[in-house]
Amino acid sequence: MKRALLIAGGTVGGLGAVLAITPPQLTSSDSINIASGAATGSTGTSTTAAASSPSSTAAKPVATSSATKTSKPIKKATPAANATTSATPTAAATTAAAAPAAKSGTFTGPAVFVNYGTVQVKITVSNGKITDAVAVQAPSGRNDRWTNMALPILKQQTLAAQSANIKGASGASYTSYGWFTSLQGALAQAGL
Amino acid sequence: MNQLREQFLVWGTIVDVDCSSSSVSAAALDAAMGSVITFCENVDRDFSTYKEGSWISRLRRGEVQIEDCPEDVIEVWDLCAQAKWLSDGAFDPWAVVGGFDPSGLVKGWAGDKCADMLVAAGAQHVQVNAAGDLSLRGGFVDSDGVVKPWPIGVVNPNNKLEVVKIYEITDGAIATSGTYERGAHIHDPQTGMIAIGAKSATVVGPLGWLCDAMATAVMVGGTDSVSWFGHDELLGYQVFGVNRHEESAWEI
Repeated sequence: MKRALLIAGGTVGGLGAVLAITPPQLTSSDSINIASGAATGSTGTSTTAAASSPSSTAAKPVATSSATKTSKPIKKATPAANATTSATPTAAATTAAAAPAAKSGTFTGPAVFVNYGTVQVKITVSNGKITDAVAVQAPSGRNDRWTNMALPILKQQTLAAQSANIKGASGASYTSYGWFTSLQGALAQAGL
Repeated sequence: MNQLREQFLVWGTIVDVDCSSSSVSAAALDAAMGSVITFCENVDRDFSTYKEGSWISRLRRGEVQIEDCPEDVIEVWDLCAQAKWLSDGAFDPWAVVGGFDPSGLVKGWAGDKCADMLVAAGAQHVQVNAAGDLSLRGGFVDSDGVVKPWPIGVVNPNNKLEVVKIYEITDGAIATSGTYERGAHIHDPQTGMIAIGAKSATVVGPLGWLCDAMATAVMVGGTDSVSWFGHDELLGYQVFGVNRHEESAWEI
């Protein structure tokens, strides 16, 4: 039984975000529910610089396959009388029925060769939740850059959800095929 | 108002989609989201340089020519050519080791396609966040039912928990390029050296593919890139660059 990704919202400073990821094939898409934490003040400064010209790309008809989705453990369709775009500050718990017994320990995924080096991820799991993720092998020996790389995108998501002033964040994110592949191997070992 | 928000794993990263509609049902949004996910999977299948059988991989190995490729691949190829010209060659997918690599443009291109699919399906308010490249449509509706521009924060490359600038975008795209997460993966096509134009570069404008490509180009060109933004095609675009060494930033 697949379990969906869970992130318990934390404060911006504490970032107690922990996560559990299902180990899908990288090419498949599984929905992930990321809980939003309580809104806290943003440190950003507001500007009114706006790019408000409409996109000139024409909407094309959906020529790809039928509108059936891959199976998704979690999705949120929220009909509401008034429009709301801010999520409520509740932890979105996975509702997978047959959760395996909670595991603890460290688990190291396979070394994955990518075109700029080799990536290998080690996760620390406590009671079925990931509390740390580090690279034991990283391209060009830059271990310090790769520390906690499982979290940056999710930190950004958490940041976006937790900031009262923004509704999305743009930051350079890695698209590390190697990182996710190795991470998923580690997760599989951890039974997550 | 029906709202649907989902995140899914594709392209080795997480894509986050938020769409709302006051005219179509939750089921319709759900179906549209399914189409978006399928589209993203197809983009992965066709463009991924990590997939041996993708059209891009086959192009890189010389097994096919661009004329043999499907329409979307040809479209991306053409957009890359435009971006290369607009950036005076600072963005050059043909200079990448191993062959043509449009990765610096594809996410922004795909994000726009996804947003437009959702609009066509009846969503008035859309945000597609493809790992930091965002496509926005129609602003968002606040708790009082008022439509406002999407306020999008630019992440501080020195502290990913901080926002250094906010852009308010009703319709358009924003893309950020940088080396601070993946290490030095951007190279200057002319010199082959690691890009040192900026620590991170953010471009805001109407078209996702162009924001994405130009953000990559600004990483190479730094403040010299101001000359490119005099092109007519870039008149509606803004740039925000964080400098590598001083704790400072600059804007166009």
